[in-house]
Amino acid sequence: MASMRLVLWVIVAFTLASVRAEDTVDFNRDIRPILSENCYTCHGPDDNSRVSTLRFDDETSAKAALPNGRFAIVPGAPGDSAMYARVASANPATRMPPAYAGHDPLSAEQIELVRRWIAEGAAWSTHWSFTRIERPAPPDAGSRWARNAIDRFIAHRLDVEGLAPSPEASAATLLRRVSLDLTGLPPTPEDVAAFVANPSDEAYARHIERLLVSPRYGEHMATPWLDAARYADSNGYQNDKPRFMWRWRDWVINAFNENKPYDEFLVEQIAGDLLRNPTIDQLVATGFNRNHRGNAENGADPREYHVEYVVDRVETTSTVFLGLTMGCARCHDHKYDPLSQKEFYQFYAYFNQVADRGRYFKYGNTPPLVKAPTEEQMALLAGIDARLEHARGELAREERAAREDLRHGMMPDDGKWIYDRRLRFRASFDPPNGVFEGSQPTFANLGQNSAAVFDGQTYFDAGDVADFGYYDAFTLSAWIKPEAVTGGIIARVTPGNALPDTAKGYGLYLIDGRIHMRVETSSISDRMRVRTRAPIEIGRETHVAGTYDGTRTTNGFHIYVDGIEQPLEVLIDDSLNATRTSAPLRIGYGPAADDRFRGAIADARVYDRALSQDEVDVISYGWPLLSIAVDYQHDRASDASLPKLRAAWRDRYGPEPLRRAHHTVSRLELARERLLGSFPTVMVMRDLPEGRTTHRLNRGAFDAPAEAVIAGVPAALPRLPDDAPNDRLGLARWMISRDHPLTARVAVNRLWQQIFGRGIVATSEDFGAQGSPPTHPELLDWLAAEYMDSGWDTKALLKTIVTSATYRQESRIRPELREHDPENLLLARAPRVRLAAQAIRDQALAVSGLLTDKIGGPSVRPYQPDGLWKELANAETYTHDMDEDLYRRSLYTYWKRTIAPPSMLTFDAAGRETCVVRQPRTNTPLQALNLMNDPTYVEAARALAIRMLDSRASPDDRLDYGFLLATARRPTDSERRILSEALSLAHSRYSASPKEADAFLRVGEYGSSWPDKAELAAYATAASLILNLDETITKE
Amino acid sequence: MKPLLDPLDYTRRRFFARSALGAGTAALAHLLGNDLRAASAGHPHPPLPGLPHFAGKAKRVIYLFQSGGPAQHDLFDPKPGLAKLDGSEMPDSVRGNQRLTGMTAAQASFPVAASRMQFRQHGQSGAWLSDVLPHTAKVVDDICFIKSLHTDAINHDPAITFLQTGFQLAGRPSLGAWLAYGLGSVNENLPAYVVMVSRGKNAGQPLYSRLWGSGWLPTRYQGIKFRAGADPVLYLSNPPGVNSEDRRHFLDALSAMNTLRHEEYGDPEIETRIAQYEMAYRMQSSVPELTDLSGESDATFEMYGPDARKPGTYAANCILARRLAERGVRSIQLFHRGWDMHNNLPKRLGEQCADTDQPTAALLKDLKQRGLLDETLIVWGGEFGRTVYCQGKMTPDNYGRDHHPRCFTVWMAGGGVKGGISHGQTDDFSYNIVENPVSVHDLHATMLHCLGVDHTKLTYKYQGRNFRLTDVHGVVQKQLLVA
Repeated sequence: MASMRLVLWVIVAFTLASVRAEDTVDFNRDIRPILSENCYTCHGPDDNSRVSTLRFDDETSAKAALPNGRFAIVPGAPGDSAMYARVASANPATRMPPAYAGHDPLSAEQIELVRRWIAEGAAWSTHWSFTRIERPAPPDAGSRWARNAIDRFIAHRLDVEGLAPSPEASAATLLRRVSLDLTGLPPTPEDVAAFVANPSDEAYARHIERLLVSPRYGEHMATPWLDAARYADSNGYQNDKPRFMWRWRDWVINAFNENKPYDEFLVEQIAGDLLRNPTIDQLVATGFNRNHRGNAENGADPREYHVEYVVDRVETTSTVFLGLTMGCARCHDHKYDPLSQKEFYQFYAYFNQVADRGRYFKYGNTPPLVKAPTEEQMALLAGIDARLEHARGELAREERAAREDLRHGMMPDDGKWIYDRRLRFRASFDPPNGVFEGSQPTFANLGQNSAAVFDGQTYFDAGDVADFGYYDAFTLSAWIKPEAVTGGIIARVTPGNALPDTAKGYGLYLIDGRIHMRVETSSISDRMRVRTRAPIEIGRETHVAGTYDGTRTTNGFHIYVDGIEQPLEVLIDDSLNATRTSAPLRIGYGPAADDRFRGAIADARVYDRALSQDEVDVISYGWPLLSIAVDYQHDRASDASLPKLRAAWRDRYGPEPLRRAHHTVSRLELARERLLGSFPTVMVMRDLPEGRTTHRLNRGAFDAPAEAVIAGVPAALPRLPDDAPNDRLGLARWMISRDHPLTARVAVNRLWQQIFGRGIVATSEDFGAQGSPPTHPELLDWLAAEYMDSGWDTKALLKTIVTSATYRQESRIRPELREHDPENLLLARAPRVRLAAQAIRDQALAVSGLLTDKIGGPSVRPYQPDGLWKELANAETYTHDMDEDLYRRSLYTYWKRTIAPPSMLTFDAAGRETCVVRQPRTNTPLQALNLMNDPTYVEAARALAIRMLDSRASPDDRLDYGFLLATARRPTDSERRILSEALSLAHSRYSASPKEADAFLRVGEYGSSWPDKAELAAYATAASLILNLDETITKE
Repeated sequence: MKPLLDPLDYTRRRFFARSALGAGTAALAHLLGNDLRAASAGHPHPPLPGLPHFAGKAKRVIYLFQSGGPAQHDLFDPKPGLAKLDGSEMPDSVRGNQRLTGMTAAQASFPVAASRMQFRQHGQSGAWLSDVLPHTAKVVDDICFIKSLHTDAINHDPAITFLQTGFQLAGRPSLGAWLAYGLGSVNENLPAYVVMVSRGKNAGQPLYSRLWGSGWLPTRYQGIKFRAGADPVLYLSNPPGVNSEDRRHFLDALSAMNTLRHEEYGDPEIETRIAQYEMAYRMQSSVPELTDLSGESDATFEMYGPDARKPGTYAANCILARRLAERGVRSIQLFHRGWDMHNNLPKRLGEQCADTDQPTAALLKDLKQRGLLDETLIVWGGEFGRTVYCQGKMTPDNYGRDHHPRCFTVWMAGGGVKGGISHGQTDDFSYNIVENPVSVHDLHATMLHCLGVDHTKLTYKYQGRNFRLTDVHGVVQKQLLVA
């Protein structure tokens, strides 16, 4: 019985979606899906799995002579066509598709379609979505009903089916619908009242205009884009620690709010970095393809994950912009679409040039990065820069004015000036003493300095100073005269194995004659190490300095020997875990007993910033100031001595105005550094200058490279524009070219899906042979052409859609529609769709008055059940934010990929681990529990209750007001009666149990400023009822 | 244990009476690559048409997932010959070109670490087990050990994801979600797929909710995580100041309002919504009834061991697993963390087994004495094995082992599995498989087979392709199953 019904409905549905008896058979609509589903696996595009030379994805092959001299397809003659004979065969042994491979035969309808198609001439055409988009003329239909071209296409199809459109929705319903569709928030009662009073077309247009300029529009449009772009606030995979991509998220919001044309929107996200002189915003946009997960697991093979990231970029880019399932061709030629495995890797090559690493940082953003200050920070920076420019001018003037003074007047008093800007620690051994471990050292002079002479046993313990981690910038410097090739100079490390093994912490070491600098943990695969290429001379007095800028890559290291920057070798560049240690800072120390320094060390310093070359020039010049000054006055000072002289002069010995000007510059420079350090970063696309060769990978495996390929686009699609470079920028321009058959269709289909709940192509992620055929192909093309011709104007297209008569229909399900078109494919009514996860929460916050309207910024943490993170991950606690951050729109909620916000997932939000452009809407008991019991909604109900109580005096008016806030209409008498009964029941219950009322009113951080607790609890119950209504969480 | 009186019976009957529409929606949706059963029925939901494909011995599965990678050398796969090689360099011929994790790839030497555990034979089957599993030792005759499982992944995230979803990267449905999708649910008061997580003294590696997620299947098929404490299911409890009677009144009013809207709009989704709120209400009593262990006998608590009375422990979760099995829940999965022993293995393995051995064995015994073992498939195992060579510093009584994908041991019991057998063999180092390799896909195919599902036929169309749990692989290991 059930299966009979099923068959019946398959027939009805099939008829609906495709061919009618009086139409001619259309290859793309009617035949290709049959061939793709049933034949392509063995007779399709995949060279490796094809079992014979016969192909049904290729017209020439399909109509060519078979080896036995017969023909698979003879146009006009089904009886002579072997293919028809095989699919229609009653004999399972010869029937196609083959029973032995587990295939069911084609249905009678499909066989008949094949027969008719061959009989009608077996016309072949390119897969519909691969043909150029031409603007079809709207049919001459629905002339009395239609408001714009959309309606003519819809009406045409309805006429064919013998259905009438639905009447226009009420003003209130329409305003709520369009408000939810364009901003994700309901209209205010004032807006509703105004529109109900004047529901004219002009008034409707004004409301649309208002909604489109509201910043809420950009937030609402951004949300599905974040799903598509797999945006999240954590890195994913095993450890899943925080990353910071919110500047990219804010870029998306702004782009929608500014109505950035979709072609620019695309180009900037795919290749903003390759534009000429890209702005910071254009660089930030490329974060799109860095939003993929990044693996920081300790044992992960970087080569393997590097491949996964590139594959993710290809899959995401092809799904989002092209509606192609390119990922299918990673391991083998695509089974259904004209995409070879080689072409997959040619496309992959565009995204394989990025200078990123296979293993991502566990915490924070992984290079390549860009600092992406906010507007406020840019303003601060501009302010500092202006002041700095002025101060530098002042300093230069003072310096010129005092030049004679330097020559004649400078008389350093004690001559012991040192460069002490941001000096955190200094061991001068002058006077010669200090806390030493092991034996007591001897002291000697090293050049002009007092030095401690270490014997390989002793070391100097400086205590708990200079506690730097891998995010901190610092400089280590000293004068040394080594007597052995290995020994620690300055280090803050835990004791461990002998050098060159690893110890947790940082240090500047002499190892086998070379200067090494390290920041590392004790894990074998987790460290940053560099060393100088050239060894230093043993037994010679040498100044060494190492700097690190806190960027967690070895690019951040510089080593200077006698003030000269040294070429470095990177030994390992794989920073992952925190490097802080509780061990003290020590001089002459290495992690093991054998690593202690032999020889003299003088004037060891630690600065808490990375000194520049200019500054190293100052500290690496050994002679005392006094002698430099004297030499200078006698015109015999060396050039190398001048930086030190000038620095001291400005800092301490020059005339007062000069010193003041210098200190102003210093202060501003430090403020600037600190401000720069506070700028958020974004992971961006930046290609390796030298490029990277791409190989086809056998079976898609990272360790099975086959032949090299060069970047290119699939042959079944148009060629790159002639003037386009063969890089990501060229690829982006190819995607937006007028001739590209997919980009505009895919984009408008997704917008249609957002508004109508289903795309014209239902499989919005797959426009290939296996995707659903469009229900209204001409409408899709008209919209796509309109979009491109309007300059990819997204707001204009949305306006066209929401002003159509199609959009403005009622969503009531008329009996004949239920019978004829239960899925509403024909749009003889408006869809009735449950709101998305984010919109459900945002609406509750809006109607309760709790919603804060701050745009952008770091992600926030609203309520979440206690212990969720801790259960699954170590030592991670979730503490909800307070005040306005509790009530931000849901797109700002902190998204941890492996433990995503549960209430969002319950309402079908995408998980953000991979690209998702279409989510089913389910209807489950967990959703009911969530809306009834989550503190978010319990608290919102109370806030709504206070709003209701505050606004009106009578119970009915109050109920009406709350209902109106949530649904944009007043309740009917029956509804009011039910609400009113529920209210009075709750009132008597809470009057009798004040403690219960009190407990109920304490949920959440928001207060309950209403004197009568029983009354408030009763209204909160009614408000909760309103928030739980099917109508409230549904767009009608 | 009988479902409560169903207040919605009337609604449901009325609904299904008109349900030609429902079936049509589903069929049409199927053409569109969707699954809209969610829109046409609440819990419970029927199996897909044609499922089960044949009569499976098992009606349900309890998967006792041991997260982190239990060391096969120290538990199930004794290699006495290693004693004399202890501390010596592992022969290159054994290691071959096996990839290593980044943690030991740079290690200068790979000394063989013979297990410090004592092994003995147990039961009529004479199964070898190490002494850290004294309780499992008593039920070995019900167990089928697979000593030759192998995986493609070498790090936790991809390896666990592979075991749970059949694919190393995130995005695909979990095994339990596949079962909920294919076989539906038989208990109308409980979810079809329940997950519980625990940890003992060893915290271990994190878990991820995708491991019980529904991937691109509709979210209703995802595993529902039961938690220890007041709210076993998220948001199950009414807020303070709202009792069950208040909730009943609330739902009556809500249902009345929604019914009015349904009369106005004729949308079947509204009826489903009403039904789901009623299901939620029933869960508010059925779930606490399930998780309330106060009715369990002292003998039961003793059988499951000292942790059994502590909510949230592996032992308490094992009792809950039995209670879920009794109530017909299709797919029950425990995740216990802490098996990732790169160092300090002897001490930590002892602790880990003290947390898990007794409850695991008790679950088998308990199901058996209640006559449920034959219809319940139990699977015990982690995401990979561990290396024979030592990671880090090796001392006479201390060593660690790195991840090892080439061979590891899992076991199955009950639900159509032959007890008292051992399948597959590894070489003298338990480094390579020498006989009867079993892939993760094979394991999945075999598990589905026990449940009456042909793994090649349980498919879902997504991105134009019919996906399976086993991708294009998987061979049912019939030799492990009773005829």
